[in-house]
Amino acid sequence: MNHNHSFELNLFHSFKGGDETAYAFFYDKYFRRIQSFSFQFIYDQDEAENLAQEALLHLWQNRENIESINGIQAFLFTYAKSKCLNLIRHKKVKDKFKNDLLNHKERELDIEILNSIQFDTLELTELERIIQQSISDLPPKTREIFIKKRFENKKNAEIAEELGISLKAVEAHMTKALKILKSKLSDYLFLIFILIYNN
Amino acid sequence: MTSEILHKYLSNEASEQEVQALFDWIEASEENKNQFVKAKKIWALTTLSLDASIESAPVIQMKPKNKIKRYAQYAAVVLVFVGLGTSVYLFNSKSETSKEIVLELGDGRLEYFSGKNETALLNEKGDLIAKKFPTEIIYFGKVQDQKVIYNTLSVPYGKRFKLKLSDGTIVSLNAGTTLRYPEQFGINGNRNVYLSGEAFFEVAKDKTHPFIVHANQADIEVLGTTFNVSAYPENPTVNSTLIEGSIQMSEAVNSSNAILLKPNQMATWQNNSKKLILKEVDPALYAAWTKGELAFKDTPFSTIAKIIQRTYDVEIINENSDLARQNFTGTIKISESSVENILELLKRDTPFNYSITHKTITITNPR
Repeated sequence: MNHNHSFELNLFHSFKGGDETAYAFFYDKYFRRIQSFSFQFIYDQDEAENLAQEALLHLWQNRENIESINGIQAFLFTYAKSKCLNLIRHKKVKDKFKNDLLNHKERELDIEILNSIQFDTLELTELERIIQQSISDLPPKTREIFIKKRFENKKNAEIAEELGISLKAVEAHMTKALKILKSKLSDYLFLIFILIYNN
Repeated sequence: MTSEILHKYLSNEASEQEVQALFDWIEASEENKNQFVKAKKIWALTTLSLDASIESAPVIQMKPKNKIKRYAQYAAVVLVFVGLGTSVYLFNSKSETSKEIVLELGDGRLEYFSGKNETALLNEKGDLIAKKFPTEIIYFGKVQDQKVIYNTLSVPYGKRFKLKLSDGTIVSLNAGTTLRYPEQFGINGNRNVYLSGEAFFEVAKDKTHPFIVHANQADIEVLGTTFNVSAYPENPTVNSTLIEGSIQMSEAVNSSNAILLKPNQMATWQNNSKKLILKEVDPALYAAWTKGELAFKDTPFSTIAKIIQRTYDVEIINENSDLARQNFTGTIKISESSVENILELLKRDTPFNYSITHKTITITNPR
């Protein structure tokens, strides 16, 4: 991953200077990440896509204020977080369930979760590194299934068919992946929690 | 039980009933709620490393079209795959049976590429002509025409190698390939190289010195860019795939029998019919090996077997007729997949049995 570092650094400088091609690189890099993140809170692919577009447009407009290459991710995710919170509070998020109480509870939880994430620049890169490492450290089969689920957005049934295993097996792998990731990232998240409260 | 529902909820596959049960559990205690919040937070944050994780998956997976890098500073980027070998002079009898990468210098001296560090390569006079590394070699300098000395590099099955020629041209050599090239290009005249096997060329721009790849019965002349040439001795064809710029492929003994390629085209020379055929292709498929990957698209098993043999230096004997007729699509990262990994993956699609003795794999019908 790091052999691209100086290449990206150059692009960052060009981007700051107003180079649209360099901007396009960051656009491509982050679009799906922002969309994927937002989807977790607003539950609509099209709306998530709109949000990602907005975030990236905003990035271009504020390029002069971004201080370092790590600032790009922090900027985009902070924007996404604010926007999601806004949409939830103004009841603009699609209702997933027939039971309105359930919808309400879900919104409350999402607000709490979003508020608890702080996208500080330094923490973000460190967190990214830990997440990457934790995913890489998953046992091969579990990792394969986790990636198909999380990044290729395949349904459990699709994955089961693709790999020739039972639906239950897929679900068991996902549960295992989440358990391992939770234990690996848990301490770190606690640290972030402390930092937020001290601010 | 709750963990299963939790992950189902996070991946949007929980039923309303299951969500109700989950939320009841969340409300049952502060501890439960904290667990939920943590889990969802981590799930949402995994988007931070979206691309990186996909890259680390070592299995056959359909990958989206690769964006082709802009090779602006190179004259031509071409893939050439050379077929039936009558190019006997390329074969150094000493290196044919060698399992190591071998460099034969102009005076017949042999150099190997073991060790971890950079070493200097000197010519007979003691001048520095190149720097050697374990997986690549970089040449520099120019000489007068009469003194052009040729070096020959042989890469055995199971290995790959990269060279930077003295004009700045970068050549990636695939397994089972031999390249003969000037140690230092002359100040006048063409830049001629001779290929048996497969190579990916990023030719340095120089309009006054045409770069020509001589591959068995075909010549590929570079007018400016990046290409892959596939010319394995056991195949009766030469394929060149153009990524960027333009190249001309012609019959070696009859230059009027020629064809001009545009990017994303592949030209095939057939020894039998002496014809040059052009077709549109996705070059990422043919250049995947330069990135350490094998890419297949509706590729018959027989071709896949050949490629695995070269890449991993094994022998595959297939006695399963069903398998021979099967086509496969997918991408494999070479460094992260063993032959067994690949066979296991193919097995899921078309059942078969196999046994391995030393470096020979025998595939049979399933019982």
